[in-house]
Amino acid sequence: MLARLTQTKALHWLGRQLLNRDDPAAWLDPLAGAINPMWVQEYTPARVERIMAETADTKTFVLKPASRWTGFDAGQHVNICTEIDGIRRTRTFSLSSSPELWHKQGLITLTIKRLPGGLVTNWLHDSLSEGDILGLADAFGEFLVPQPAKPVLFIAGGSGITPVLSQLETMAASHYPAPVTLLYFVRTGNDIIGREKLEAIAARYPGLNLNIIATHEGKEPRFLCDADLEAIDGLKEREAYLCGPKGLMDLATELLQQRGLAESQMHSTFFAPPAPAALDNDQLGGEVSFTRSSVNVGSEGDANLLEIAEAAGLKPRYGCRMGICHQCSCRKTSGTVVNRLTGKVSGPGEESVQLCVSVPRGPVQIDV
Amino acid sequence: MKKLSEEQLNGLQQDLDAIRDEVLADLGERDATYIRKIIRLHRTLEVGGRVMMPFGFIPPVFVAATASLGIAKILENMEIGHNVMHGQYDWMNDPALNSQTYEWDTVCTSESWRQTHNYEHHTYTNIIGKDRDYGYAVLRLSDDVKWHPGHLLQFVNYILLTVLFQWGVGVHELESEKIRRGELRWRDKLPFLKDFARKGGRQAFKDYVFFPLLTLPVAPVVLAGNVGANLIRNIWASTVIFCGHFTQDAETFTEEECEGESKGHWYLRQLSGSSNFTGGKWLHVLSGHLSYQVEHHVFPDLPAHRYPEISAKVQEVCKKYDIPYNTGSFAKQYGTVLSRIARFSLPDAVRTRLEQRGSGQLQAI
Repeated sequence: MLARLTQTKALHWLGRQLLNRDDPAAWLDPLAGAINPMWVQEYTPARVERIMAETADTKTFVLKPASRWTGFDAGQHVNICTEIDGIRRTRTFSLSSSPELWHKQGLITLTIKRLPGGLVTNWLHDSLSEGDILGLADAFGEFLVPQPAKPVLFIAGGSGITPVLSQLETMAASHYPAPVTLLYFVRTGNDIIGREKLEAIAARYPGLNLNIIATHEGKEPRFLCDADLEAIDGLKEREAYLCGPKGLMDLATELLQQRGLAESQMHSTFFAPPAPAALDNDQLGGEVSFTRSSVNVGSEGDANLLEIAEAAGLKPRYGCRMGICHQCSCRKTSGTVVNRLTGKVSGPGEESVQLCVSVPRGPVQIDV
Repeated sequence: MKKLSEEQLNGLQQDLDAIRDEVLADLGERDATYIRKIIRLHRTLEVGGRVMMPFGFIPPVFVAATASLGIAKILENMEIGHNVMHGQYDWMNDPALNSQTYEWDTVCTSESWRQTHNYEHHTYTNIIGKDRDYGYAVLRLSDDVKWHPGHLLQFVNYILLTVLFQWGVGVHELESEKIRRGELRWRDKLPFLKDFARKGGRQAFKDYVFFPLLTLPVAPVVLAGNVGANLIRNIWASTVIFCGHFTQDAETFTEEECEGESKGHWYLRQLSGSSNFTGGKWLHVLSGHLSYQVEHHVFPDLPAHRYPEISAKVQEVCKKYDIPYNTGSFAKQYGTVLSRIARFSLPDAVRTRLEQRGSGQLQAI
């Protein structure tokens, strides 16, 4: 192991000397990728094996990543990249299959809903075909099945079901030894994503209490209410996992808090760009110095660091531009920034920040 | 330089901005496909050259391997590296083509190049005293610099600079002339010297140590071929670059006339201080489209393969404002460069007498 590590380290060093780049393995990509796109080294290539319609606006993409991909835990998400009109686009999606499928068959699935006006989701639906290649990065995320097992409550809405599908399948396969309840909110019966899968899991795994609720089939909308929670056994001992539209997440958080669940028991993950937190604009803005480029600019209001850098003529790397994919993460060497999504204020010291959602509050130094 | 009114300068700026905006709005798959095709060609030539080189004891193979590696270096430096570092492909959001992180296959570090070339040369183009690329602080190319007897030998300096071009470009940021004049201390340049040593060492290690040693029994052949490939690239790059600003009619400027200049004035200066040469498609590709130096200086961050397409529009704008558009065959343009180097090596008195006699002869004809 150690011998191999030093060997790769030495090779990597040599590659850097010979090819003038930090990822020497990717030097041959333009040529290798033209012969076989699965040979690309810069990212993990994943071939689209099958595309299945889930609902009118949601499809499941079955992918076969190159075998060197590092795998994932149920509930995690992954960045995928693809080129549309010559521009590299990166987006984050939850993995909807279980890790077992990856271990046994080398396959993963992404279940993706078409977002109105969304550049990438619409391209995936309309232009991606079986046999095409997507780029895959390592999986990440903390939306994980509790270890050791505890009773669980999932509250999912719409396409927020995708990480839950992965978790439920994993729990069913391991005969998860604690009760599991899923409250799944969909607009109508036609909008249920993964219906067959959910029913199959419920049939073979008695520990799951499956409750699919259509919100827009009656005269009045039928949203999550306290009665839904009251019906759940031992609610206070449960770990709650929330994934869905912001309205549902906020409502669920509030109701669960009223029922006495602690913040540490509640886990949530974003499946769509969350609405920006309300910020006090008066405190925002400040002198931003991009130290590596020797550029200093002033900023006002809630302009984020990515916009500020681009307005100053810099071109830092970026991805989703909504705080999800971390492509634009850079070192902040000093100063305070406010996270546009959470409203959280950073410390004054050196740390990694996402340019696209960080708004300066006072003078800030960024290593860009 | 052609004198334009404030109003004309504004008009010039608007006309050129319009050309630029049109290209920017059209950037897409075609540009990505083009640069990837060039990169594939580069990889093929470099791998081909390296693989063939050990068989260079067969003379035709030696020629093919050296040419292949030399052309690979030319493509990488000129059509890929130089253009990528100008940010021409940043919009693609491809980390391998990012202007700030790309490192090219030559002695000069990308960091140093972005400072001395992208910033200093492209901002202060042909301003004597501010654009250190004008004569590279080695050659006297206009009468703005006072003649001294050392200049008599500047043709030798020119040959040396051309042959060792990548090392000359590599040490450019050292500003040795300022150190000589005592304006800078060696100590100020330590960080630069460290970077220079690292990158220069890396390049020399690769071509002159690693690959020859890898094929030890034929090491001298591989070493000779690698030296040859670097030489081909050095001479070609230097020649192309000299044709960009040192031709007969490429103008120079003083600091005073450029103080607080407008964008329109900057455009005018780029148009008047640069020169193109004509040729076939591959001449343009191998020059990194610096054969369209005028277009490049007006729009340094537009993908270079677009320059031939917008050249007619730029010429129209020049015509509209009666600004000379400097172009000619490669041989003619390079001839005027050589003549400039030779003429300004002479004392002013001799040079002006020769020039008068030359124009007198022309009149006689």
